[in-house]
Amino acid sequence: MDTSKEIRTVNMLARDTFSTALGGVIANTSRSLLTMLGIIIGVASVVLMSSVGASMKLVILSQVSSLGSKSMVVFPGTQEGGPAAVQTGHDSLTFEDLAALEKLSTIQDAAPVIFLTGQTSYGREEATPQVFGIVPQFFLNQNIAIQDGRLIDDNDNQGARAVAVLAPDAVQKFFGNTDPLGERIKIGDNHFTVIGTTKALGSQFFQNADDRIYVPFSVARTITGQKYLNYITLKAVDDFDRSFDDIKFLLRTRHGINNPTDDEKKDDFVVHSSAQANQILGSVSLGLSLFITTIAAISLIVGGIGIMNIMLVTVTERTREIGLRKAVGARSRDILFQFLLEAVMLTGLGGMIGMVLGIGAAGILSLLVRYFLATYTFAISIPSVVVAILMAAFTGLIFGISPARKASLLHPIEALRYE
Amino acid sequence: MEKTHPLIEVRHLSKSYFNDGIETPVLHDIDLVIRKGEFIAIMGPSGSGKSTLMHILGFLDVHTTGDYLFQGERTIRMDDDALAKIRATRVSFVFQAFNLLPRTTVLQNVMLPLLYHPTIPVAERIERSLQAIASVDLLDRKDFLSSQLSGGQKQRVAIARALVTDPDVIFADEPTGNLDSASGIAVMNALQKLHASGHTIILVTHDRTTAEHADRIILVRDGHIEGDTHSEHART
Repeated sequence: MDTSKEIRTVNMLARDTFSTALGGVIANTSRSLLTMLGIIIGVASVVLMSSVGASMKLVILSQVSSLGSKSMVVFPGTQEGGPAAVQTGHDSLTFEDLAALEKLSTIQDAAPVIFLTGQTSYGREEATPQVFGIVPQFFLNQNIAIQDGRLIDDNDNQGARAVAVLAPDAVQKFFGNTDPLGERIKIGDNHFTVIGTTKALGSQFFQNADDRIYVPFSVARTITGQKYLNYITLKAVDDFDRSFDDIKFLLRTRHGINNPTDDEKKDDFVVHSSAQANQILGSVSLGLSLFITTIAAISLIVGGIGIMNIMLVTVTERTREIGLRKAVGARSRDILFQFLLEAVMLTGLGGMIGMVLGIGAAGILSLLVRYFLATYTFAISIPSVVVAILMAAFTGLIFGISPARKASLLHPIEALRYE
Repeated sequence: MEKTHPLIEVRHLSKSYFNDGIETPVLHDIDLVIRKGEFIAIMGPSGSGKSTLMHILGFLDVHTTGDYLFQGERTIRMDDDALAKIRATRVSFVFQAFNLLPRTTVLQNVMLPLLYHPTIPVAERIERSLQAIASVDLLDRKDFLSSQLSGGQKQRVAIARALVTDPDVIFADEPTGNLDSASGIAVMNALQKLHASGHTIILVTHDRTTAEHADRIILVRDGHIEGDTHSEHART
């Protein structure tokens, strides 16, 4: 036999086996669907869970990405409940701390922030946006870009000018669609001239970063008379971990904190960074992946046992058919492949139905969640979906072997005599 | 000059079944020669071993001792693939219980053996199946499901399925056993037609009238061949 004829023979044999196996699946549609149910639910859960994971990852990334990869923030306060539960309102960060930090060679662009509290008004419009007393480096550290006018500069700070820069939501609240530049707003008892507006930043650490007003740091310090800082933003010069360690060492030394075990709960300050957030995100992703894998493994094993059970029943029910096929020339391996392919088809098809249902459920869920979390977007983890379907098909292969082997080993005449 | 082997040659063939170490002999020291083109009836009462003999001759079962030569080739050491190949190409069966696939059409049932002939293209499979169905006068029922046919029609479909591979020998195990007399006659006529076209037919029956359709009757009783005679039909 020449090669092309051999290839044609193998192709035809594969097609015949496929169509025979498909016939077996279609012959009893309702039972096939019920058999697939375990796999369908398993794959749908995996697809749904991985979609939720991918969406949440996007949400968290959107919170930290605006900071920039080398940006860090030092807050006063303790971290009793873990990294996500910073207790603010402490006065542990001082101007002396800032001066010491500025001397570190591993950090740059240290930018202190003091909050101005009080009602803000323009004409009859009143609101309470966050008011930040900042230095120009703050805009660089936070990747804040100008929309109109100009940003606060060193001259504003040195001259303690009563000027303000508004973020988009604050502009909208006070001025609607009119031009705010040159207008005067009142913050507490002080008047400020609007000199610029910024582009939208979105949210940072789940806080709206667009409902803000920026004023010169020197002005805020004078108004509040505050002896401490609300927080400091800064940037790592090169090696992020080294900067992180230097900041912690410096502040612990200055604050007299003996912390040889590097237990961050003992500190009276907290250092946050986008890199650190990414690390946490990585841990969360890993945990979520393990969780999804566990769900997938359990569902596929349960589904696989169901498939094996039904396939064993099918082999018993179709014993005479197997005998007949052998009587007309089927080899044992033809029968083996036929029943194995039926099992793989059941799980593969179940996997695909599960995928469609999982994606549909994830889509519906994203619509519902968006009501509570505006930044939640529908996302699908393609690798997870592909792996889930392949694993489903593989389950059919593993759990289909025993029934298929049982069928293939049947003796033709005993199978034909089976009642 | 090349020696011509008989189609089937059996020498001192015995068959026993073993169950929990207990031997149950079924066939004893069978000697038999069948030549190409013969129409043979293996006849005997229930439990005589006639069906077992047919199953061995048709490669559905294997003998315990003795020799079985098919076209001069010893069969005792043939593996699963070799036996499957013979079943696919050289022999075929018509069973008493029809053994048609449920929920499938007449055409699909007749095409079934060709599934194991992967070198035959689909178009040719369909053509050969339609010819086989036409030869048993069921072309108008080719798209009927097997469950929609009468017993006689089912058996004619089984005959069409048996001849679609153009085998050397067709084995028929009590082909009229489940049929009324009119259907039985139609089935036997179909087998005789096949014989007339050159096929070797080996028929197993307990019924003398059915056996009389054959040319040669081999009488089996208690696992032995008790007689090997020409039928009335052949003598006349």
